[in-house]
Order: sequence, then structure tokens, then C-alpha cells
Amino acid sequence: MRRVLLLLLVMLLPACASGPKYGEVVSTLPATNPSQGRIYFYRPSALGAAVQPDVTLNGQKVGTAKPHGFYYVDRVAGNYTVAASTETEKKLTFTLDPKQERFVRLKIQMGLMVGRIVPELVDRAEAEGELKDMSYIAEPLK
Amino acid sequence: MRKGVLLLIVLGLAACAPEITRRPSQLTSTAPPPAETIEVTRAAKVSVGPVGYARVIPQGSTWTRVGRVAEGDVYKPLDSVFTVEGAHVHEAYLVLADDRIVGFYLPVEKAFSPAPDGPNTRLAFKRRQP
Repeated sequence: MRRVLLLLLVMLLPACASGPKYGEVVSTLPATNPSQGRIYFYRPSALGAAVQPDVTLNGQKVGTAKPHGFYYVDRVAGNYTVAASTETEKKLTFTLDPKQERFVRLKIQMGLMVGRIVPELVDRAEAEGELKDMSYIAEPLK
Repeated sequence: MRKGVLLLIVLGLAACAPEITRRPSQLTSTAPPPAETIEVTRAAKVSVGPVGYARVIPQGSTWTRVGRVAEGDVYKPLDSVFTVEGAHVHEAYLVLADDRIVGFYLPVEKAFSPAPDGPNTRLAFKRRQP
């Protein structure tokens, strides 16, 4: 029984993000262009860790929903739609103003066959409380 | 066995929430800024969309008037976010007719979503001058 639990733990570990924490990198991130805003994405839960769909912003892939990971993109002010396709797709729509920072939490919701990711818009205070434990995933910035 | 089937049905239904009821709406922006701001003095519960689930407008939350639609004045949250959820999640602003919450303005969709029991929900707030 212990071996099975250990095996499960070992299998789950690579599924979670690793890297510098939010508090370590946030002050080193470049300032946004005055005409742009910044959108942070993060997934605080490791529940359903095997489910890591692509995350799209207005149809363009910006990253994946990796547990305990966060990343950001800078975009010009305007209207945006976030989606993460799993067995069903739940979209989030919001506006972005110049110099504004938006925080999108990628919440796992268990479905019939597999889990699905529901993007939620959260305010700064709530997001920063959760982000402090998240690891920075730089890949989407390339 | 029956319980398992029931659970599957419940999970299935939860994954198929209906789309938020809405109709196209034209927002006439407030100009020039700064706009009037209100502070909610007592939390209010308001139902949303076709399912009628409850959302709470928190006490102490502040909202700034950004314009007007045919149904009322439109207020955007300051330093917080507000969303309504059906099949999808939408950023939303409050639409008030005097002190009654009549619905929500969806800025991306440029649409008005009526609150099912909105006209019966009064919002207690105080005005802050710009």
C-alpha cells in the first residue's frame, strides 16, 4: 500500500510547476508598455494534476494550466476571452485597460470523465494571496 | 448503484449551465471623468442569470459610474472584480435604477443581462463626490 502511495506521489510531482516563487520574481518583471496591460494566469490547485490543457487568449495559446504555476502576458488594451479546452469549454470574458493588471485563476472542476479548467477573474488582493505559493513558468513569455 | 447514477447526472448537469440571458445594449459613457462613486453600506444578495444563483454585493465595496444604458446607470467596481456566470464567465458591471439593482452590463459582449428578481433588490449605498 505504501509503495502504491509513493508511486502516486512520484507520478504527481512532475505534473506540478517548479521554479522561482512569485514573491521572488515579481519585482524583477519588466514594466508594461503604457498602451498595454498585463494578464496573469495561475493554477493554485494540484487536484486533477494530469489535466493540463492549453490556455488560450483570444484564440491564441499563451500557456498551459500547470498546477502551482503562474505566468503572464502583456497585451494592448481591449476585450479578451480566456479558454482552456477539456471535456467542455468554459470561457471567461473581460476588459483590459492600459497599465491595468488582471489576474485569471485557472480552477479545476471535476466533470463526468475528466476534470475541466474554469478560468475565473479575481481581484489583486485575492490573487496575490494565492500567487505567493506559485512558481513562475517562463515558457509562455518566449 | 442508483446513487452513483444520480451523482453522474448531477455532475453532468453542473457541466451544462445555460447561457446568461442578455440582450444587446448601448452604453453611453460618462464624460468627462472623474465620475461619481458609490460605497455600498450594506451587503446585498442578488440573483443572476437563468439559474438565478446568488451573488453578494459586499458591504464596503466601491463602484464608479461609467455611463448609462436604457435600463439604468452603470457602475464599475473599483479595486475589485465582479463577474456573472452561466455557460461562461463574464466580467459585469452593476446597473442601477435609483437604488434598485435591475441587472448587469457585460462590457465585452456590450449587452444587458437582467437580474431575475433585480427590481426587488435594493442597494444601500452612500455617494462620494468626485
